[in-house]
Amino acid sequence: MHGDDTRPWTFYAFAAFFTLFVLFLYGPMIVIYILSFQGPNGGMTFPLNGVSLHWFSALVSQTRVGDIAGSFVRSIGLAAIVAVITVVLSVLAGLAFRRRFRGSAFAFYLAIASLIMPGLFVGLGIALTFRLLGLPTEWFTTGLGAQLTWTLPFGLLIMFAVLGRFNRSYEEAATDLGATNWQKVREVTLPILLPGIIGVALFGFTLSYDEIARTALAAGARNTLPLEIWAMTTNVTSPTLYAVGAVTTIVSFIVIIVALGSIAIVQRRRAAAGMRTE
Amino acid sequence: MAPSASAASGEVAVVGVTKRFGETTAVKDLSLTIPHGSYCCLLGPSGCGKTTILRMIAGHEKPTSGDIRIGGQSVLGLPQIERGTAMMFQSYALFPHRSVLDNVAFALKMRGASTADRHAKARELLTKVQLEKFADRLPAQLSGGQQQRVALARALITNPRVLLLDEPLSALDEYLRLRMRGELRRVQKELGITFVHVTHTQLEAIAVADTVVVMAQGHIEQAASARDIFVAPRNAYVARFVGGQNVLSGSVESVMNGVAAVAGKNGVRYAIPVGELRPMRGSPLWGSIRRDRVAIEKVAPGAKPTTGLNAVVGEVHTLENQGSYVKVTLDLADSEEFVAHVADENFFAHPLDIGERVVARWSASDVKLLEDGPIAEERAPAGTAMATAG
Repeated sequence: MHGDDTRPWTFYAFAAFFTLFVLFLYGPMIVIYILSFQGPNGGMTFPLNGVSLHWFSALVSQTRVGDIAGSFVRSIGLAAIVAVITVVLSVLAGLAFRRRFRGSAFAFYLAIASLIMPGLFVGLGIALTFRLLGLPTEWFTTGLGAQLTWTLPFGLLIMFAVLGRFNRSYEEAATDLGATNWQKVREVTLPILLPGIIGVALFGFTLSYDEIARTALAAGARNTLPLEIWAMTTNVTSPTLYAVGAVTTIVSFIVIIVALGSIAIVQRRRAAAGMRTE
Repeated sequence: MAPSASAASGEVAVVGVTKRFGETTAVKDLSLTIPHGSYCCLLGPSGCGKTTILRMIAGHEKPTSGDIRIGGQSVLGLPQIERGTAMMFQSYALFPHRSVLDNVAFALKMRGASTADRHAKARELLTKVQLEKFADRLPAQLSGGQQQRVALARALITNPRVLLLDEPLSALDEYLRLRMRGELRRVQKELGITFVHVTHTQLEAIAVADTVVVMAQGHIEQAASARDIFVAPRNAYVARFVGGQNVLSGSVESVMNGVAAVAGKNGVRYAIPVGELRPMRGSPLWGSIRRDRVAIEKVAPGAKPTTGLNAVVGEVHTLENQGSYVKVTLDLADSEEFVAHVADENFFAHPLDIGERVVARWSASDVKLLEDGPIAEERAPAGTAMATAG
């Protein structure tokens, strides 16, 4: 390649910045993952005193580290519920917003404004309101509501982007060919939008899975995983903390792989339709 | 005039239709009858309302007022499937997630046909458009021309009596466009159904259509056979838009034996046949002369050409070799463009150069009167023009 030696200084500036970014993001995480394999007699810092899975087993066996297993199950369940509700409502709202209706701009800004509200106060407000009404606060009621104030506007914005690239003549063609409204949505609109919809689900899930600000005061007595970890950082002084970090990261990766994998499967199935028709 | 339409007829009648989008009027009190089994092109610049008419016939838009009739029956409010129309979209709108076969079979699936039945019928249509080998491909794996044929097959599977085509060739390259327009015409003849084709390309309309409807700003300027649109434009707008004509204008000096002598700018004088009409002395008059009926002669430097009637003097502004003829554009003193199409053998026998002074002459019998100015009011209004074709 010629001309590579005439890169502008901005190239090096950005390259340097990007290197710092990568080190800052992944360096500490890698340190945590390595330290989670600390030997049974090791401490929270280097050097490694042997290598073991001791702290991973301590995660489930030791009661004094808190309710890791329980909070993990709650968080996964909550994230799944949030993802489903976010997908259903964002898709419906996105489709509805394609047509300008009276007050549509107002409704849109009302929904989006939720993104700039300080999360801690959203959670606090929800908890206070429930207490005022004499209702119990739980992760699956107030916690769920608090998280939806965060994921729904996100989901809606993603659907706007997805629908912005969607050609309406697909729907007109379906109508033209005799599809009823329901057939049109099922046979044409949703299948074409499917990769984008999986993206909304992925966002809903991950935003919920590591949400703290809104959930902290609205989750009630039983913690979600991020809240449990937050509590642990103040009272657990063993590498168990690192083991938690390693496990939760793996779960996040699995979620992303499942989502990207299902998009790939959708794509592959479409390509396979090229070989075999339904 | 078309005979009274039977139930299965694909006669399309647009009756006094107006369509407004908010403040803007896309179509103004427009009436048009397209006979059963004819090929009609709606031709006009973008924004002239041609696509709106097509979408109203298809039922994707509702007229603000007026009626749309197919086969003599009003179809307002009817779903597409009961109208007997099918539409081919500009971008084809092939479903990207379905194979070619399933795209073509889609309408039958919506009606609950069995997989075997609908695939058999779809294969039959794919064979008709010579794409049976591509049945299992996805639309994205086909070329533009192949996608267009899939869209055609998909639209035809419902046995429509009217096929509506929205700029069907605009996404293709020049070579395919020329091939596919012949193909569309062949399919239309073979099926004997009504085709309504929207385009902004003059030569495309003239090449495929029985009837060409030239539109401007929501109304019809002329609806006539493709040949008449080209050789006998009704007014200066059609003459200029369709091309192939020079527009002459001036004020009437005298009328004798059905021919008006007209004085243009800079002392140029034309003869324009007016038939039975008696335009007032001094009133403006417009006429047209075909570009290929104009002869060009060089003027020797310093010489004063004899002009008289039906001749203009000017400088050669541009030269474009079109193969069988050369397009010579003259720079006249008045601003109107003047073009002569000179047959190649004539041109290359006496080649011209840009900037040379020439005189362009034509015969008075080739000049056609245009309905502009005061003359227009003496003729029938354009809005009621009926499109009849052979």
